[in-house]
Amino acid sequence: MAESPSNRKVANSLVALSSAAVLAVYAAGYTRTRGAAAKFETQTAERRPAPMPAPAAPAPPANEPPITEPGPALSQAPKTESPKPSATTVEPQPDPAPAPPAAVVETAPAPEAPPPSPPPPAPPAPPPAPTWKDGTYTGWGTSRHGDIQAQVVIESGRIASATIAQCLTRYSCSVIEKLPPEVAQRQSAEVDYVSGATQSANAFYYAVVEALNKAK
Amino acid sequence: MGTIVTIEVLQPNADAAIDRAFGWFREIEARCTRFNPASELMQLVAQPVAQPSVPVPASPILFEAVRFSLMAAEATEGAFDPTTTGHYKDIFIDPEQNTITLTRPLTLDLGAVAKGLAVDAAARELEPFEDFAIDAGGDLYLGGLNPNAEPWTVGIRHPRREREVIHTLRASNQAVCTSGDYERGYHIQDPRTGETARSVASATVIAPSAMLADALATAAFVLGPDEGIRLLDRMGVEGLIFTPDLERAETRGLPRVA
Repeated sequence: MAESPSNRKVANSLVALSSAAVLAVYAAGYTRTRGAAAKFETQTAERRPAPMPAPAAPAPPANEPPITEPGPALSQAPKTESPKPSATTVEPQPDPAPAPPAAVVETAPAPEAPPPSPPPPAPPAPPPAPTWKDGTYTGWGTSRHGDIQAQVVIESGRIASATIAQCLTRYSCSVIEKLPPEVAQRQSAEVDYVSGATQSANAFYYAVVEALNKAK
Repeated sequence: MGTIVTIEVLQPNADAAIDRAFGWFREIEARCTRFNPASELMQLVAQPVAQPSVPVPASPILFEAVRFSLMAAEATEGAFDPTTTGHYKDIFIDPEQNTITLTRPLTLDLGAVAKGLAVDAAARELEPFEDFAIDAGGDLYLGGLNPNAEPWTVGIRHPRREREVIHTLRASNQAVCTSGDYERGYHIQDPRTGETARSVASATVIAPSAMLADALATAAFVLGPDEGIRLLDRMGVEGLIFTPDLERAETRGLPRVA
């Protein structure tokens, strides 16, 4: 490669850019979480009652031990954790208050409370399925961990399919991948809860509700 | 990323920060993965298939990963190239609008850059604790000092003998990344020719960030020992390259353990 002043300039800015990129991502990550937390409060106010749809959501397969983080140990013994989202069953839960500035060390996150035990199963007679206008609709749902966009396709007045169009949560949406098919099966946004991914499941629910509202 | 991530923090009460550090790996992986058609990256590359030259709004993570990748491609004159088909010059970014435009269909592999970015974001998360080590499948970031209050010791794997260390170096508040021809069937292609790069067995880079170290290690691997070391010198980072015959080329300031 030829040495040239412009080359050197690119080189210097590459080093600077790599540092700037990390700061931009880090800062934006927390800004987004903060904004989501604020919106979350609004949505919580109008939150659906929490009937557990029967059957209750099975917990995701525990094919991996819960994440154990290396503690403050002087030993060098490595503890490992796979970031592979499909195998992750524990979501670290930030403090429920809107995220403080990043520099503030949060209190230790409580493990996500399991969903309340299901009420006695009293499945109501399915209401007559509402009909929607045909088309493809999208909606956004919010959680403390970020937003989810759902896309719902209406054909012949019925929900033909629902998908996660964008997953902007801090955690992979693979933990709630069983939810989108339920929307078409049930002709409703009332999807199951997912233990360990309550926030993501709620965000998906809100996203579908918003999409279906557009289809009315 | 399919990578084992290990985080060690020497100071107490780091559990919440370590949780968030791992959260960065999940978030960045979720957006930048090639293995989920719904990921933000895959939606971006799907756009020009439907209609080229449409600006696509990007999250800060995707935007910065792509911006850095393009800059690294420019700085290495294509020895590092985030595209696996197509050309990086068909990607345009708009820092005002935070949009990315692909003028024609191409495939993008942000794997290495995304992993580096995740290490760097995790390191930023752990900064208040000073002394820590992050290992994401060979992308290392060493913060502060080790338990003996010295810079961390990093062993570079022997490229031909799995259990041996060929070189030991010291690092503090630096990332260390190695590209090796021995990694799980790893064949680094020279993006400029499409040929498998064969003149290097492993290339190690020590840099202020893992994203930079990873990209430059890949570029040095492709460029070969002589040009590779010249690149690292020009970038102002340290590095060490072994050829398949185990000949060694290194930057002048390479730190070593006496």
